Amino acid sequence: MSRILVVDDEEHIRLLYSEELKEAGYEVITADSGYKLLERIEEEKPDLVVLDIKMVDYNGLDLLQDIRNRFYDLPVILSTAYDTFKEDMKSIAADFYVVKSFDLTELKKKIAMALETRLPT
Amino acid sequence: MPFYEENPKDIKQADLVVAVPSYNEAESIGHTVEQCSKGIKQHFSYLSSVLINCDNHSTDKTRDTFFSAPVDVPRIYLSTQPGEIGKGSNLRNLFVKARDLQAKVVVVIEADIKNVSPHWIRNLAEPVLKGAGYVCPLYLRHKYEATLTSSLVYPLMRCLYGRRVRQPNVGDFGFTGRLLDSFLDSPLWTESVRMYGVDIWMTTVALNSRLPICQAVMGAPKIHRMKDPYAHLSVMFQQVVRTIFDQMSIYSNFWLQVKWSKPTSLFGTDSHEMETPLPVEVNVSQLHERFLQGFETYSGIWERVYDQTICPKIQEIRGLGLQHFSFPTQTWAKILFDTAKAYQSLGEGERVSLLDSLLPLYLGKVLSFVKKTERMSLQQAEEYIENECTVFEENKPYLAKIWE
Repeated sequence: MSRILVVDDEEHIRLLYSEELKEAGYEVITADSGYKLLERIEEEKPDLVVLDIKMVDYNGLDLLQDIRNRFYDLPVILSTAYDTFKEDMKSIAADFYVVKSFDLTELKKKIAMALETRLPT
Repeated sequence: MPFYEENPKDIKQADLVVAVPSYNEAESIGHTVEQCSKGIKQHFSYLSSVLINCDNHSTDKTRDTFFSAPVDVPRIYLSTQPGEIGKGSNLRNLFVKARDLQAKVVVVIEADIKNVSPHWIRNLAEPVLKGAGYVCPLYLRHKYEATLTSSLVYPLMRCLYGRRVRQPNVGDFGFTGRLLDSFLDSPLWTESVRMYGVDIWMTTVALNSRLPICQAVMGAPKIHRMKDPYAHLSVMFQQVVRTIFDQMSIYSNFWLQVKWSKPTSLFGTDSHEMETPLPVEVNVSQLHERFLQGFETYSGIWERVYDQTICPKIQEIRGLGLQHFSFPTQTWAKILFDTAKAYQSLGEGERVSLLDSLLPLYLGKVLSFVKKTERMSLQQAEEYIENECTVFEENKPYLAKIWE
């Protein structure tokens, strides 16, 4: 079972994503901020991270660079309320992005694609 | 070994090698070397470093200008034998020398860049010191600059090797000394690689090395000496596409396993303000005319090479006229896949004709891109290209099927 780490400072989003992704057959762990996120990834070894871009104390795009530098091939999906983030070049280090919605069809599709991406090691 | 070498300071080891390949670049190499030297001094003064000019035996005092530029980094001049031209030949001499010097990091900067600046050296070298194997720059480009990359090289390379390297054949790079053996031992060293094909050849070798790839945000366009973009189009097109197709055969065990694609790491996202890319004018009537001319000469080849669904589709595109012109990406992807497959079984003469026959279709695809994106911002056009790449990836099973 693939393990997904959801990083979002809004509790209702964490709850929604957790419930729906568990129902879809994933194991879900959550974090409410970017605090010690890299250590958390190191310890919990998720297969994929869903990362909020705008958190009160953390910029998701900066966290994305840190994740990519340390965990080169770990899939990261950016989750955002607005798509203006695309103006920032940092966003191209993400595997995919989704605009936040109560309908998680798109998120689930991107998660499936990211998890089945295959490169020889 | 290089045909000719001058190493006045008798340098035997260097952690950082910054190389400038050239052929008759006396006018510009002095400035480039000065900027490279400043970059080394400002950012890597703690490393042993050397500047190398790898030259095609220029006859215009490139060598003299290289040595007389006011810089205080040791210099080495390498040259091919007279008459042997091509950037690839120069880089091969560089690889041999850099390996002798036990270089940890190698940076290549083209000689004729007008706006090269010291931080470019940092952006291409530092990611390697932090663990990247190969660094491609991300220059700011107008949406109609480098259409061969946007319409063909990037989507095809990304779909094949699964890594999203946006400017894989841009001409400037940073890489680890660990790749030197891979470059020197690569089984493919063709005429195309010795010439325009070398940039995409290096990136492909790096992608297959499994080392981490990084893209360095340069924050600026790359401004060359003024060139006519169509002057060498046919030759450049042949050499670049041929190199990709040749390497597809060598690396098929790798790319047949690849599904979808992944991003690279980035460097330099915070360091500089973004400049604006220079405008590029496109002559859509000329593109359309050259697309239509292809039917007179190449219809026979197309019918022999392409899947039976493709030729009716191309005829349909022809019938649209300039005003409603549109070239579907799925058709374009299948054309490239069929061409790549056909290329493998042809002799030399037929390969030239095959690639010549692809050129008008490529120009048709560029025309379609221009028409679709004419009202789009740079960022919107980039998103359009990303979507085209996804179409290539979705159609990869077709390529795998015809390949096997």
